[in-house]
Amino acid sequence: MSLLERRKEDIERHLAKYPQKQSAVMPLLYIAQEEYGYITEEAMEEIASIVDTDVTQVRGIVGFYTMYYSQEKGKYLIQICTDLPCALRGAEAFSAKVCEALGIQPGETTDDGLFTVENVMCIGACDRAPVIQVNFKFYENMDMDSFNDLIEALRREHDAMQPYSHE
Amino acid sequence: MADTVKITIDDIEHEVPAGMNLIDAAKLCGVDIPVFCYHPKLGHDGNCRMCLVELGLPRKNRETGEMELAWFPKLETACTQKTCEGMAIRTTTERVTDARRAVLEFLLSSHPLDCPICDKGGECPLQNLTMAHGPGTSRMYWEDRMHLGKHVALGELIFLDQERCIHCARCIRFQEKIALDPVLGFDMRGRKQQIVTSSTPGFNSIFSGNTTDICPVGALTTADFRFNARPWEMVQVATICSHCPVGCNMSFDTRTDRLAGGRTTIRRVMPRQNEAVNEIWICDKGRFARHYMEHEERLTTPLVRKGGMLVEATWEEAIREVAAQLKAAGPNIGAVAGGRLSNEDLYALQKLIRGQGSGDLSAYLPNATGGEIAARFGVGVGTNLKYLGAGDAIVVVASDLHEEAPIWWLRAAAAARRGAELIVISGRETRLDVEASQSIRCAYGAEVATLNAMLGSLPKTAVKAGESLDGMAEAIVHAKEFTADAALKAAAKTIAGAGNAVIFVGSEGLTGEASRELAQASANLLAATGHVGRANNGLIIVWPSANGQGAADMGFDPGFGPGYQPVDKPGRSYGDIFAALADDVIKVLVIAGADPVYDDLTAEESIRKTKGFIVVQEMFLTETAKLADVVLPVQSAAECEGTYTSGERRVQRFYPAVEPLGESLPAWLITQRIGEVLGQGAPSVSAAVLLAEIGRNVPQYAGITCQTLAKVEEQFPDVGGEDLYYGGTSFQNVRGLGVQWPTLAEQVDAPLSVAPAQAGEVLEPADGEMIVVPVTLVYDTEALFFKTQLLHQRVPLPHIGLNPADAGRLDMVDGDLVSLTIDDHRVAAAAYLDERVPSGVVTIPRRLQTQGAPLFATTAPVVKLEKVEA
Ligand code: SF4
Ligand code: SF4
Ligand code: FES
Ligand code: FES
Repeated sequence: MSLLERRKEDIERHLAKYPQKQSAVMPLLYIAQEEYGYITEEAMEEIASIVDTDVTQVRGIVGFYTMYYSQEKGKYLIQICTDLPCALRGAEAFSAKVCEALGIQPGETTDDGLFTVENVMCIGACDRAPVIQVNFKFYENMDMDSFNDLIEALRREHDAMQPYSHE
Repeated sequence: MADTVKITIDDIEHEVPAGMNLIDAAKLCGVDIPVFCYHPKLGHDGNCRMCLVELGLPRKNRETGEMELAWFPKLETACTQKTCEGMAIRTTTERVTDARRAVLEFLLSSHPLDCPICDKGGECPLQNLTMAHGPGTSRMYWEDRMHLGKHVALGELIFLDQERCIHCARCIRFQEKIALDPVLGFDMRGRKQQIVTSSTPGFNSIFSGNTTDICPVGALTTADFRFNARPWEMVQVATICSHCPVGCNMSFDTRTDRLAGGRTTIRRVMPRQNEAVNEIWICDKGRFARHYMEHEERLTTPLVRKGGMLVEATWEEAIREVAAQLKAAGPNIGAVAGGRLSNEDLYALQKLIRGQGSGDLSAYLPNATGGEIAARFGVGVGTNLKYLGAGDAIVVVASDLHEEAPIWWLRAAAAARRGAELIVISGRETRLDVEASQSIRCAYGAEVATLNAMLGSLPKTAVKAGESLDGMAEAIVHAKEFTADAALKAAAKTIAGAGNAVIFVGSEGLTGEASRELAQASANLLAATGHVGRANNGLIIVWPSANGQGAADMGFDPGFGPGYQPVDKPGRSYGDIFAALADDVIKVLVIAGADPVYDDLTAEESIRKTKGFIVVQEMFLTETAKLADVVLPVQSAAECEGTYTSGERRVQRFYPAVEPLGESLPAWLITQRIGEVLGQGAPSVSAAVLLAEIGRNVPQYAGITCQTLAKVEEQFPDVGGEDLYYGGTSFQNVRGLGVQWPTLAEQVDAPLSVAPAQAGEVLEPADGEMIVVPVTLVYDTEALFFKTQLLHQRVPLPHIGLNPADAGRLDMVDGDLVSLTIDDHRVAAAAYLDERVPSGVVTIPRRLQTQGAPLFATTAPVVKLEKVEA
């Protein structure tokens, strides 16, 4: 199903907001990201044709803004702020430990496809550092204990959502 | 002259145009402010910071009320400033030189410094500006450089070295603002930032090569030139593009080398600045389609048919044979000449044929005619499409400019973006429609009627300017017989009210007669509304080849002698020549620089049927040459000299760049040698002498000599030369801007007249038939063009364009085989569904399939071919 078929109303709502169709590229990209988890090649092409521009232009926007993902990522996207204020409160070391615990490098996804870790710039919660976002939800004043609890909880949530198996 | 203002540059006062970009203004004053991202044709982007200067503007002192110069506390980017009264800048202070050094240090912090193997090395703005302003050493860690792709193909024509790119965005802006193919963009950010294209095919634009000229580093290179030579080793030879009527000024950059066995070869083709013609651009066809000139299949000796076979012969033998045949045939001879021939070639050929008593001379392709109308109502001397903008009007009728004359398309679209009214009148939608302020669809065959209706719709007051012209009253009375709808009335009003108006007269689907009437209808409309006889006004014929105007001027038009002088008895038209050949009325036909057997559905039949003698002057053994009795090998435009006349009637000269191949000779010389045997006199000493003869016998060319053609004057912007950083590597024009000859309308008291334009029949397809329209594509399989392998991937497969609704009716999908039967000739190709093709019409690209195409729009049964399992 194309993006337009899946989210016709939302797309049209955004298109109607701007005098020029091209201006709607960014909201449409968010819609694509919501639908597919990341921005697929096909989505870029479809958006380019919806707003009547070359796909190169759409790709440039995806490349420029770090919050658009052009690679498939894990079910849970863990963003750790390592900008200066957080770094002063040990965020870099925290990030390293998180990665070690999950057995991946920043930017990578665990083999089970559940977690992607990413170091990001300031997310506006400097006074509660170290701070992370999981799928854009804030978790503040983190340490490894609270992180491990969080991971446990997320795994349970994921398992609960799996269909029951007889084996 | 625009208003001027006084500005002070480094304590010296200058007078410059008001509101001009500061970089340009300083340049006019002889002050170079270094830039990377700014480009005089692209405007400012303010991204590179190389142009920082100290800037002062006049300001009122609050206490004293006096005006005083206030300097900005920080350095400002000069490229984002416009000149105004009292502006002052300093470009040589320590702060400025420090800033330049810092910008260069920053740009070089991640630069690969591979100048020794970089194609731009030697003509690189980054190299030059670093030498002038940069730090001699770097404080950066070499190891910290960002490593990126070195040979990234942006399609098969242009390669990107990501490490060399300095992110000036010139290439992106060129594609967006000038080529109007926004297929380049930046991906990622910071040091990872890089140019990408996602189009299919990669970098999908027929103007892509220009980005390599304006790229200020060696990041963008052409597949044709990369690793092919160093800039300083090459000799530049001025030439004129031979692919379309725009007449772009170019340079063959040649090198004599061991690799080519000591021969001089062309290493690349570069644009040469001519602001009135191509500015600093050329299309990719002009840039890359050069390889036929040095192709191994070029003919190097004359061929004579013996025992049914074409065998090599000496010049003497071949010429003797042709002369004997001509002599025996008396006046029963004719010639068909392609528009790649120079004026000299054409003049010599018509002289030979007329000298034997025949006037059967046709230009090829024969669709576009009306040279004599261009000679009277063509655009005025000094015309420059660059100056058309708000308040002006451009009409394009029956032409797909993007495919037929790319640089005109680009310039017409640019004028529209500057505010000119662009009116497109055609049978189908083309790329120019997107830029048009008014798109008018008319049925094939109704073009003349459409223009007549426009003229007829104008009130008396609007046609006052042309009132006194001979024949205008009749033309208007005739025009009033055609009815104009609201759209046509509006278009006519736009033209009448325009400050300047230019009409591009195309010939899509038209016969020679019809295109002459279309030129007449255009001339009537322009003359009536006062848009003739001055610069930036008049008509331009979109000839199907580079020298179509020249061919008409030299008398390749059945109705006229050279210079449109009257003839006693009109000659045969193209169609009649081939009919007479088939009936053995014409006994010798000379076909020069044309391949009708390949392009034209019906020519082969006539040639196979005739008992007459066929002489072909050609570079290759084309389909036509294969059927000839004698084939005479001619030199390419890179080997000889000559002149072409562009669609804007600008006569321009090209120079020999490389040694002739084998025994090939210039076409004019071959012709004159034949003439010599026939007692027409000894051949000219050179093409230049022949040009002087043309000047004596073709009134329009009086006074045009090699000297006048070689004149140059200062052009703005000042590109090339020492100033690569400013305009890129398009060459300065030092070998001549050419001469545009004046139309009759520009001459006082000239006998000027118009006549009613006769509308032809609109094609009425019978049941089961559709209208078949031959269309021109920029890239096709024409004999010479297709010798350039590099462009093969861009040549579409044979296809027949069809409206999806018609396809539905015929039960066809994209790719199904369609078959057309035109006068017992069958053309079959894959269906290409295209909404821009009107319902009831199929388009068939010329020179794309071996069966050929009809020369003019016609009607034919269209059927789906069932796939046969092999
Ligand atoms: S490729 Fe060349 S023109 Fe394009 S942004 Fe990079 S340096 Fe500028
Ligand atoms: S626009 Fe025409 S004349 Fe100019 S380079 Fe292209 S083909 Fe040649
Ligand atoms: S620096 Fe981490 S949230 Fe602001
Ligand atoms: S910022 Fe002015 S030239 Fe680049």
